[in-house]
Amino acid sequence: MRILVVEDEPDLLASLAQALREEGYAVDTADNGDDGLFNAEGTDYDAIVLDVMLPGMDGWEILKRLRKTKKTPVLMLTARDQTRDRVKGLDTGADDYVVKPFDLEEIFARLRALIRRSANQTTNVIAIGDVRIDTAARQVFFKDKIAELTAREYALVEFLALHRGEVVTRTQLYEHLFDENESSLSNLLDVHVSNVRKKLGAEFIVTRRGHGYCIE
Amino acid sequence: MKIFKSIKWRLQIWYGLILVVVLAGFGITAYQLERGRMVGHTDDELHRRFGILASAIRPPPRGPEGNGQSFYRPPPGQFPDDGPPREDLRPPFEFHLPPEAAGLFGTNDPNNYYFIVEERGGEELARSDNVPESEVKFQHRFNANSLVSSLDNVPAPRASLNFKDNRGIFHRLPSGETIYVGCSVMPELRELKLIKLKFSGVGGIILFFGLAGGWWFVSRALRPIENISAAAAKISAGDLSQRINVAEAESELGQLAAVLNSTFARLETAFAQQQQFTADAAHELRTPVSVMLTQTQTALNRERDSAGYKQTVEACQRAAQRMRKLIESLLALARFDAGQEVLNRRRFDFSRTIADSVELARPLADERGVKLLVETGTLEITGDAGRLAQVVTNLLVNAIQYNQPGGEVRVKLESNNRLAVLTVADTGQGIAAENLPRVFGRFFRADQSRTGAGNAGLGLAISKAIVEAHGGTIEAASELDAGTTFTVRLPAG
Repeated sequence: MRILVVEDEPDLLASLAQALREEGYAVDTADNGDDGLFNAEGTDYDAIVLDVMLPGMDGWEILKRLRKTKKTPVLMLTARDQTRDRVKGLDTGADDYVVKPFDLEEIFARLRALIRRSANQTTNVIAIGDVRIDTAARQVFFKDKIAELTAREYALVEFLALHRGEVVTRTQLYEHLFDENESSLSNLLDVHVSNVRKKLGAEFIVTRRGHGYCIE
Repeated sequence: MKIFKSIKWRLQIWYGLILVVVLAGFGITAYQLERGRMVGHTDDELHRRFGILASAIRPPPRGPEGNGQSFYRPPPGQFPDDGPPREDLRPPFEFHLPPEAAGLFGTNDPNNYYFIVEERGGEELARSDNVPESEVKFQHRFNANSLVSSLDNVPAPRASLNFKDNRGIFHRLPSGETIYVGCSVMPELRELKLIKLKFSGVGGIILFFGLAGGWWFVSRALRPIENISAAAAKISAGDLSQRINVAEAESELGQLAAVLNSTFARLETAFAQQQQFTADAAHELRTPVSVMLTQTQTALNRERDSAGYKQTVEACQRAAQRMRKLIESLLALARFDAGQEVLNRRRFDFSRTIADSVELARPLADERGVKLLVETGTLEITGDAGRLAQVVTNLLVNAIQYNQPGGEVRVKLESNNRLAVLTVADTGQGIAAENLPRVFGRFFRADQSRTGAGNAGLGLAISKAIVEAHGGTIEAASELDAGTTFTVRLPAG
């Protein structure tokens, strides 16, 4: 899962990015509105965390312009907590709204919910054959036993599970699992896929030659 | 009682009372005058008839003559033929009512006047045919009133009776005869009763219309008060946007309403400013708190090395510093607002203070590539040197931060007309005209940028408070893309 964080307060941006990376997300950052919009339009993020007050273009403007081309779920961060601000945010096209100061746990939970909803998934648990994925606890069970996956492996499984039945291209996987700072070594993805197959059964991820991967 | 507390009712009651007193006064006076007129008229008639009756009594004639109506009844055996006339032996007088007067008495008289004439011995000489029963006891009344007077000098015949049902006068002639003339006053009484009814009716109608008109007038006069109180009630319930509808701006209440409206407007503005200020202050505090929360929560999510912890602690320290600065600014503003800020006034050389501030700001200016041009001469003023240095530093830092690389900041101090005039001019992007009046407002920023973390937009507001506490003024003039000039004027005395 790849997330864009747009926030102008450097310490807040750094810690948010770090915390999200540690949760297993691939995180891109922008510290002003123009870069934020550029990134948001150029990449298919799974979710965007967007501060309202930004130098340059503010959060509302970014949201308005982004909505012309993309349906990426957006979580607005703001220090304003009046009802009219919330209403404005939701009406402008924000998918959720968090008032500063917030707890990280809440941000995590809301992001999970946003990503789940954008994949038309209603519950936290996705069951595929012998494999059960708990997206809230970020854990995978294989034959009712916890499968020890790395964060990246989990992200791969979750992304494929949320797009169950679709063929996901390698490019898509690279876009959603790795952030802009990681060198996209092409065999890194193959390593993760083969590790997941070892842990969850060889048939769990199907390879479509020339197209990509799929969970059926 | 609520009714007596209401101005409307009290006015109405007073008004009604006065109206009743006036109407009653007029009514009673008019009634009395009318009654007096009637009594006077009756008495005149009685007197006229009395005179006629008195002249109708005369000594007995020598022979049976007399063509008038005679009521004389000669008592038997009372005709002494000779000898000097003795008073007690005097033959009874005769009573001849002239025919032309006959119509004045008895049943012929439309007014029903009646009379009784008695001899001195008490024998009745004559009476008209219409003496009412109640007057038969006249004798006793007469005895109680031994009134004697000469005919030539007739005193006002005594009104013997009241005006209850009959009125009459009686009088004893010098010769001893007694005349009583009376009449029934029932028609007059009926008329008076009618007048009384008429007066009461008319008075009642006037009172009714007076009260109704008064009520209308009082209601109308008090309606603005009701408007005022309704608006005030809504305002006290929290709706500060309410205003009193001023219909009559000229009346006293209209003026009051206008004064109240302007008070309400100022209240609303002050309240809105206060709300904005609180919201802004909270907003400014939210960001550093968010930083601390996220930093610490991230750090605690898993074990870190000491460098990671150090990084977190440093970020927290920065956030805390930012909050401290903000809190200090807010407290300073609150103290200035409340007039509690105590200025440490003394005489000092303002140019030295400016030079010190310039030296403090020079590293920042060098970093931004901004040239500082200072032009000051020694100028002593009285004030709080520390606070005024804060003003100078604020203006300098702003001028440097909102400048462009290669730009310059001119600082000039001059004495002008007993004023110390400090100008700080930059060559920055300038401030849009619509924003210029707001630059001294709290939490104002030329753009929404918060890149200068810790710059909450309170610097100019505090500078203004400090300058004004010194009795000075501060103002800004700006031209887009040319620069902004701040001018501070302080009393140089």
